[in-house]
Amino acid sequence: MNHSALRTPWPWLSALALALLGVFVLYPLLYIFTASFAGEGRSGWLQLLEDRRSLEAIGNTLVLACVVTLFATLIGVPLAYVSARYRFRGKLFITLLPLITLVIPEVVTAQTWLMILGNNGVITRFLKGYGILIPSFYGWFGLITSMSFIYYTYVYIGTVAAIGKFDAQLEEAAQSLGTPPVRARLHVMLPVIRPAILASALLVFTMVVGNFAISTILGHNLPLLSVAIYQAAVAEGATNLTMQSTLASTSVLIVMAVLFVNRRIIAKGRYEIVQGRGAKPQPLKGAQGLLVSAAAGIVVAVSLLPLVTIAVGAFTVSRGPVMRWGEWTLDNMARVFITAPGPLVNSIVYAGIATVISVCFSTLVSYLVVKKPNLMTPVIDYVSAIPLALSGTVLGVGLLASFNGGFLALTGTSTIIVLAYVVRRMPFGMRNGQAILHNIPNSIEEASISLGSPPLRTFLRVVLPMMLPAVASAAILTWTTTVSELSASLLVYSGGRETLPIQIFRLIDSGLMAYASAYGLVLVAVILVPVVVATTVFKVDLFASK
Amino acid sequence: MKKLAATTLLLAGLAAGANAADPVIYTTNPVPAVEAAQAVIKEKAGLTTGIITGGSGVLLRRIEAEKAAPQGDVFWSSSANTMGAFKDVLEPYSSPELANVPADLRVADDYFQPANLHVVTVMVNTDQLDGAPAPADWKDLADPVWKGRIILPDPANSSTGYTIVWGLSKLLDAETYKALVGNLVVSSSSSAVPKGVAMGEYAVGLTFETNSYSYVDGGQTEIAIVYPSSGTFTTPEYSALVKGAPAGDDARKAIDALLSKEAQTELLKVAFRRPSRTDIKVSDYVKLPELSSIKVFKIDEEEAARSRDAFLAEWAALPKAGSSE
Repeated sequence: MNHSALRTPWPWLSALALALLGVFVLYPLLYIFTASFAGEGRSGWLQLLEDRRSLEAIGNTLVLACVVTLFATLIGVPLAYVSARYRFRGKLFITLLPLITLVIPEVVTAQTWLMILGNNGVITRFLKGYGILIPSFYGWFGLITSMSFIYYTYVYIGTVAAIGKFDAQLEEAAQSLGTPPVRARLHVMLPVIRPAILASALLVFTMVVGNFAISTILGHNLPLLSVAIYQAAVAEGATNLTMQSTLASTSVLIVMAVLFVNRRIIAKGRYEIVQGRGAKPQPLKGAQGLLVSAAAGIVVAVSLLPLVTIAVGAFTVSRGPVMRWGEWTLDNMARVFITAPGPLVNSIVYAGIATVISVCFSTLVSYLVVKKPNLMTPVIDYVSAIPLALSGTVLGVGLLASFNGGFLALTGTSTIIVLAYVVRRMPFGMRNGQAILHNIPNSIEEASISLGSPPLRTFLRVVLPMMLPAVASAAILTWTTTVSELSASLLVYSGGRETLPIQIFRLIDSGLMAYASAYGLVLVAVILVPVVVATTVFKVDLFASK
Repeated sequence: MKKLAATTLLLAGLAAGANAADPVIYTTNPVPAVEAAQAVIKEKAGLTTGIITGGSGVLLRRIEAEKAAPQGDVFWSSSANTMGAFKDVLEPYSSPELANVPADLRVADDYFQPANLHVVTVMVNTDQLDGAPAPADWKDLADPVWKGRIILPDPANSSTGYTIVWGLSKLLDAETYKALVGNLVVSSSSSAVPKGVAMGEYAVGLTFETNSYSYVDGGQTEIAIVYPSSGTFTTPEYSALVKGAPAGDDARKAIDALLSKEAQTELLKVAFRRPSRTDIKVSDYVKLPELSSIKVFKIDEEEAARSRDAFLAEWAALPKAGSSE
């Protein structure tokens, strides 16, 4: 690095970014890794090997992740295929899918499934009338069903674009060379869209490993890794870290292994479509069209069911835990806004601050990484992606352990909640920002500088305005995912600082579905309003970077 | 960069803005009870309280973990059995309100303050009986027809569960006890027990009347509460002051308010907690029987606490109907 480089602000900003990432991402991670070896008494890993229940939890989590990934792919890929290649009735509905997953709190989804398929669920009772007994929804059956119907949307989103871009002429070429249609599709199309399918499937895998909300509600007594980490963290507190850090490290190692595999697979088999002409969706008519509409319709309706349940529940009269379906009231909503507005206010304030910090930081840092590379930037790029490998529970454990005392005591403050939000969601903004920056030619910036504008002003006046659409979509995605964050904040929150998801989680635990639904509906509104305003009023393309 | 600095400032402001002096209550109680208590504390002592919820064992271990720098002020509530092991992180407090509490509920040195009295009930969902007669006593539940249909909270994690199985081991003969345990499904979460019965997931749940009665009060007509004819178990629940409570005197005021007639009446009305005070007539407020009309089988709480580890080891070895796997 020469002398003149030090006169620009970029090396200094890089150093600052690296320092922040070091303190808030690397330090907590290393802290739990070391604590797993050097706890009080014996190493956590030795204890883990003797703890049958923990080992069972790890095994169950791996099996669950595999099965859910398989089912989610089996639902998501065909759905993406029909919606990319065909036109049929109700197709518009399927385009709503990405929003559904962002909007419905997982706690509510789990509870809704219980109301439908639990021992006393609507369908269970119906089938019982015909003498058909289905297995208990608690445990494997419930976990696999509910998670598959949530996570298939990620496979759908991940593959629908790839299928849409696939050049149908290749398929036709194969057919004209004598390959039967079905085989042509499998042999020609599958290799091209395989990386997209694998990448989204592995994303589902890591999300199942990290899932806390559904695991804890439906897992009942089936040991699972994320629940075990949470229980160990709450039981051990911040002074004895042995078991929680060992389990958390295990989770990190699993996810890192998966991400490593992901890179290898994607690097290996990538087919480029040269001058691809995407296939025009073909209309489906008659019996075939009806069949596809019905199948896709069922999948979407099932995903929407929790939303309907909370919308109805929010206005239903209740007394204690008992719901009086069919009697309507505004009391539950009054409670959210008037009697106990704390969670709503907390959520908006914390998530708002976290979104601002996270977007500012990720915009600046992605600019540094893409446009002002120096010795530090590759490290910055790498470290800022680490939170992707941390589940919320693991991150919560790390932050609680690292900032309980010592040089930076944050336990029991609002800051630690905001910090958890920022660290957890910052990689989204990074990805977005880097993608758009690669498309902005350096020449524009160089022109501005050679005309005498200083570097920082050039960034603010020239580069930033061009990045703005991507920054806006990053801000919205960060906001939606931050407002609904539960697993990290549940560990680090303190009395009086409940957010909406935490309050919903507590209310469902107390059996108060009506109140929980009201908070749930408000949470959905808090998430949706900015999305709707941004997409309709400001015409922000939410998936601009994809 | 300015933006970054501004948000950092904002963050710092937020952290400082949180009032450190507000008492924080670590509580095992459900939301309606907590809110009723918070309202009375606000009204009587003028204090806003923070709440952390969790199971009794979990919260007490957390208090122990935080003993170098306590984050909580008041623990509310659990049985004396469970709290006994954590005496060194708690502090005795003889609240003036204790004058209205019967002497046999109080503990030596007022280490903990009796907050309410729990009565164990058999919560029955009559829609789920499937032809079996409704149970009237413990021994009825030993019938194999109930295998896998009775849920109870895990005795290792819940003082409710511990009180129930300890009492049963003393009340029943060894054979009936073993048969009954063989029918039980253990739930790691206490709140899942009444919910499971109310939703019809299980026909019978062993739980305190505060939980089962909330469904009767709500108007769920298929829920019946049975007080077993050979006697049921009662256990007082206690609040306690955390040693070195950061809120200081305000923590004591919060406990006074929790024990007041107003708080206990409110908790009876909202959360169906039988008061520990003698100056509240239960049937004036809710349709629960007076304590004098319920047959109670006395258990020795001290012995239960002393033998805890050995008893739990024995319990773990007994075959059960399952843990819903």
